[in-house]
Amino acid sequence: MTDTAIADPQTSADGASVGAARSRSFARRARNGGISLLWALAGVGLVIVMWELVKLLGNFIPLPLNTSDMTMPHVWTMFAAMGEPEVRGSENTVLDAVIAATFRSLLLAFGGFLIGVAVGLLLAVIMQRFLFAERGLLPFVIASQTVPLIALAPLIVGIGNQIEIGPIKWTTTYSVMFIAAYLAFFPLSVGALRGLQAPTPTSQELMRSYAATPNQTVRKLRFPSSIPYIVPALKVSAAASVVGTVVAEISTGVRGGIGRLLIEYARQITSQPAKVYVAVFGAIALGLVVAALVTALDVYLTRNLPKEKSA
Amino acid sequence: MSTQTADRLKLIWPPVLIAVLFLSAWQLLVVVRDIKPYLLPAPSLIAENFFGDIALMWQTALYTGTTAFLGLVFGTIVGLVMALLAQRFIVVNNLVTPLAAGLAAVPIIALTPILNNMFSITSRTPRVLVTAIIVLFPIFVNVTRGLIQVQPVQLELMRSMNAQPRTVLRALRIPNAIPFFFTAMKVAAPLAVIAALVAEYFGGPQQGLGSRIAGSAANTAYGRAWAYVVAAIITGLMFYLIVVAIERWTTPWTGRTRSA
Amino acid sequence: MSTATTEHAVHADGIWKIFNEGQPNEVTALQDVNLTVESGEFISLIGPSGCGKSTLLRVIADLTDATRGDMRVAGHTPPEARQQQLYGMAFQQAALFDWRSVRRNVELPLELQGWDKAKRKARALELLDMVQLADFAEHRPWELSGGMQQRVAIARSLSVDPAILLMDEPFGALDEMTRERMQNELLRIRKETGKSIVFVTHSIPEAVYLSDRVVVMSPRPGRITHIIEVPLGSERDEDTREADTFFDAVTAVREALRGRVGGSDARAKVGEV
Repeated sequence: MTDTAIADPQTSADGASVGAARSRSFARRARNGGISLLWALAGVGLVIVMWELVKLLGNFIPLPLNTSDMTMPHVWTMFAAMGEPEVRGSENTVLDAVIAATFRSLLLAFGGFLIGVAVGLLLAVIMQRFLFAERGLLPFVIASQTVPLIALAPLIVGIGNQIEIGPIKWTTTYSVMFIAAYLAFFPLSVGALRGLQAPTPTSQELMRSYAATPNQTVRKLRFPSSIPYIVPALKVSAAASVVGTVVAEISTGVRGGIGRLLIEYARQITSQPAKVYVAVFGAIALGLVVAALVTALDVYLTRNLPKEKSA
Repeated sequence: MSTQTADRLKLIWPPVLIAVLFLSAWQLLVVVRDIKPYLLPAPSLIAENFFGDIALMWQTALYTGTTAFLGLVFGTIVGLVMALLAQRFIVVNNLVTPLAAGLAAVPIIALTPILNNMFSITSRTPRVLVTAIIVLFPIFVNVTRGLIQVQPVQLELMRSMNAQPRTVLRALRIPNAIPFFFTAMKVAAPLAVIAALVAEYFGGPQQGLGSRIAGSAANTAYGRAWAYVVAAIITGLMFYLIVVAIERWTTPWTGRTRSA
Repeated sequence: MSTATTEHAVHADGIWKIFNEGQPNEVTALQDVNLTVESGEFISLIGPSGCGKSTLLRVIADLTDATRGDMRVAGHTPPEARQQQLYGMAFQQAALFDWRSVRRNVELPLELQGWDKAKRKARALELLDMVQLADFAEHRPWELSGGMQQRVAIARSLSVDPAILLMDEPFGALDEMTRERMQNELLRIRKETGKSIVFVTHSIPEAVYLSDRVVVMSPRPGRITHIIEVPLGSERDEDTREADTFFDAVTAVREALRGRVGGSDARAKVGEV
């Protein structure tokens, strides 16, 4: 009796049904994603309920926080504020302003993200290739994250505004992107380095037996095997670039972005308490949109890889 | 010299060398090109400001560090409780995990103005709270993972020994989760410092590092501003190193190759 | 606490295990399995992947339940046997806890049974002595080799002094030389303690060397096809591995696995390969 051809009875045996299995698995994953989304909405609903409950409770029991309508508007007041004119007599509603600002910040965050990813990848490749580079640079890469660059933002802007390279004048916008890139490059360089170093000694020996150049080894072996490490790092980098953008906008007061709106509307909190909440929603939406984009990229990059099983 | 010392030196000299080269190049650049302090202060100027008023540096760092510490402790406790609940009740896990993933992507610090209003802006509370919220999520995600991802063979073993769920939690899941906890803490601790610092940009008491950095910059005292930055870096590093020390002391088995 | 000699160690009567019953991906892991293991007997379950040997062991251990049929372990139902700790189990992975010393790993089942500290320690050291690892009691699992870790796992499975040992390919991850040494260890332990052992393996020589009877199984659907007596007596040592009777028994098992007629065929489907 041959026992070599015995397949796991749970999976399809013939190749013709592999395609069917793949589309079934995609459908299953889409369904799982949908279920996660429903749970997320339930979670948001829970937060809203708790918000209103706390407000209600504050009417009867003295709580350590201020639950008045001035500081904690009702959820429906927040939504109503979206439709109000941004500035007295203006045609723009608050919602228009927030959407425009969010979009502007999105562009900055995305720009910073791309730069950070590029720099991170480059650093990772260099550090993997040259041991001295890894030993010398990696501690600094790690230490770079203890430098609260977003706290340095005003200083960065000050320096940046002095720089002129030919006809290109550095504006505050570039400073914001620089800060976003700075926060984004670290998770990516660490993740990419781990990924590039991930191939087993056996695989490395295989490439060596083919007389592959270091360059070829990076392209054909190391880079593909680093994808599972790069993908989660991309998510962290994306989130970091969003945070960097918003906070840099806040501390530099640069116009056009959602950070600026947060500060402006926060100042108006005594006259129009609900506006700042709309701005906060904008900032949250910014983060979620970027996360969604990166998740889509993730799905695309890992489409041919085996799915991980967790315990 | 023993091989252990030799090995340690081999790891230390490249970054030290690069640090020395970097600082020297920086100093040289400022002196030779006569760069004004508002553009880029020399390391010597920064050192002067830092050591010149070290008591003030310490006080300022202590203020922000305390905020960070309180937020870290509070956020960690809540995160741990939530992780235990999420492991025990799948509903909690399903509700909180997508939220945690979503919130990880958004600038939570943007909540500070709201918290400043809900709680008194003149107290530390809003800053501690926003720090706690920021710290909460890495802790929750990692510890939950550590509690849930035990090897199937270990679960079978416990079952074959007729262990009750509470015992499995105590004897298997929690010890398994400890390395995950420290991974999260190594991220959360410096993050708490940064969060406490940035939260100071939204107004309130001005004795912290963030306020002083911005204040010095506004007064064009750039040497001093950078000195505060150095203090901030040191504070973040201290938090990180303390976590690493606690980790080494309590879990000597991490970092080794795992047994079969 | 050993079982009375009149009780069977394991009695399986018409056991079926069907996964995903009624669905398109239904799998019959065990079909009408009937098996009796006498008290003090060593039997091996052998067969190719998917034949149900591990599933059968899991049904005995109450790690999964049978779809149909009656299973008795030391006269009790599997859940009762598990709750009363009437068996000890060893897996292919040692599954030691990194955060406990070797001794405390062996103490784990005793802790769960509520033994007090001093008694646990004494018993653990006694068992480690039996597997000749007493010197390593305070070491950490990762400091031990694979074979040593498995010995600790076996010591652990003996701590509550169960009448029955269930072992799922415990030596599968070890090299051949270590494997043979471990087999001798196991035989020695068995001789000293008189326990019944149900042993799952992929290795024909291992099954023959260790067992009184070898149960040959076959997949799709999982079932017992042959039960082969091993006439090697109770005194076995390195010389046994080179004896003609040993090779004959190995051949008999191999032929049975190939589906050729040899030995009794309790429930085999005709013409099945």
